[in-house]
Amino acid sequence: MADTNQSGLLAVRLVTSDRVLVDTTAEAVELPSISGYLEALYGHAPLLSELGAGEVRLHGGESGNQKFFVAWGFVEVLPERITILAENALRPDEINVEAARAELAEADKIRHEAGDDGSKYDEANALTREAEEKLASAGAATASH
Amino acid sequence: MANVLDLRRRIRSVKNTRQITKAMKMVSAAKLRRAQERALQARPYAQMISNVLESLMRRSDIYNEETGDVRHPLLVEREEKNVLVVVVAGDKGFAGAFNSNITKAAHSFISQRQAAGQNVDIESVGRKARDLVAKRYPAAVYQKTEEHYDNELSTHFEVTRQRSAPVETTGEHPTLLNKVHIDEVSHLAHTITERYTREEIDSVYIVYNEFKSVIAQRLVVEKLLPIRKLGSHEITVAEEMTEEQREAAAHAARTSGVSLGETEDSVIESEAKKFGTAEVDYIFDQQPEKLFRNLMPRYVTTQLFHALLESVAAEHAARMTAMDSATNNAGDMIDALSLEMNRVRQAAITKEIIEIVSGAAAL
Repeated sequence: MADTNQSGLLAVRLVTSDRVLVDTTAEAVELPSISGYLEALYGHAPLLSELGAGEVRLHGGESGNQKFFVAWGFVEVLPERITILAENALRPDEINVEAARAELAEADKIRHEAGDDGSKYDEANALTREAEEKLASAGAATASH
Repeated sequence: MANVLDLRRRIRSVKNTRQITKAMKMVSAAKLRRAQERALQARPYAQMISNVLESLMRRSDIYNEETGDVRHPLLVEREEKNVLVVVVAGDKGFAGAFNSNITKAAHSFISQRQAAGQNVDIESVGRKARDLVAKRYPAAVYQKTEEHYDNELSTHFEVTRQRSAPVETTGEHPTLLNKVHIDEVSHLAHTITERYTREEIDSVYIVYNEFKSVIAQRLVVEKLLPIRKLGSHEITVAEEMTEEQREAAAHAARTSGVSLGETEDSVIESEAKKFGTAEVDYIFDQQPEKLFRNLMPRYVTTQLFHALLESVAAEHAARMTAMDSATNNAGDMIDALSLEMNRVRQAAITKEIIEIVSGAAAL
């Protein structure tokens, strides 16, 4: 930790509700905030943002190039450290494509049965986005192999 | 007086029982270690969530300008008329007084509230909690009405609840403790926060067994909603372990290789405490109000998740302790029976000798 200040590397930590998934350093980190992707380099201004669904991409540093699927949560960016708090986070090889497809179908079902309940639509949309991003992330992983 | 053969048979049967209880103890010890590990790994996240919230609370824009109150429905305090209590017990028996203690605490809490003229709703978590609660309190009755309009093109559902008793169970979650998956917990937390926001319930309590370490556990009734102060647990009733229980638990832990001490803060955990609290002006990507609104339900979820994980660990610890004392008792019983058996055998031999000697003397 101490030498990250000189090396110009970001300390990156990805924490989920039940484990610490990654604890490494990187030169640049791409994050899916709820309003779109953002990229942080060393020395970024302090930032707090809500996380959407998508891929966290780490570049350089100890991390090499790693990708993770994350969905919902928060991220804190400090000049020398990034902490990602994700409700759901998976390595690309942990994504269950079948389950993601089932989620998509379930989201459609919720949307179909929602009637005039606004919160149901929000729930369905969130689920769809998560499942779609999951599939995209898994697809990217298989393409790169 | 029992004969030697009977006693031998009894000893054999008690020995078998001892083997079983010993195996159960070791299994529980292994499960306990895993549960402890999980509870520990879940800590950084919970810590960070409450830190972000705290850091947001310092922002002025989430306060109402006129009244100075925080603008969030989960912080609103109302007069407690309808109370929801989440009862977390175990999934299986053979855990000493674990389950009955929890239901006892829940019942006394409920009757206290009932006496105060409040309505109580119950959500039970764990198979044992469901069984014990369902026996006493009726389930809530919901009525679904359907309305069709626009020539049957649109339908409107409305679910209404008819309260028939002051205490009703509104939900059962017998399988939630199997895995304690965050998605399932989050679902429960969302229904709870949603009911709170709708003002169906005015406060939420959770009855569970808090677990700090094998020898530091207590039964608590904790207030989940409304949130009054972040990060602190608001405990209304707590029942500590007795000295005797603590000793039994310590013995069980020693003999099965489970560490007694409270687990220390890891590096990550102590850093987690600093999350979001740096003395800098954060840029907020979204409006603080919106961040805050989305964070609150997550905070409740992590609180609930945390309670469930601790309860699972406590259940395994209770079973381990119970099985350890059962093993000890079986050992004592075997000793007593062996003594008895030897005595009976000796008596028989003595009797035979006397018979022989007196027979010889009569010749």
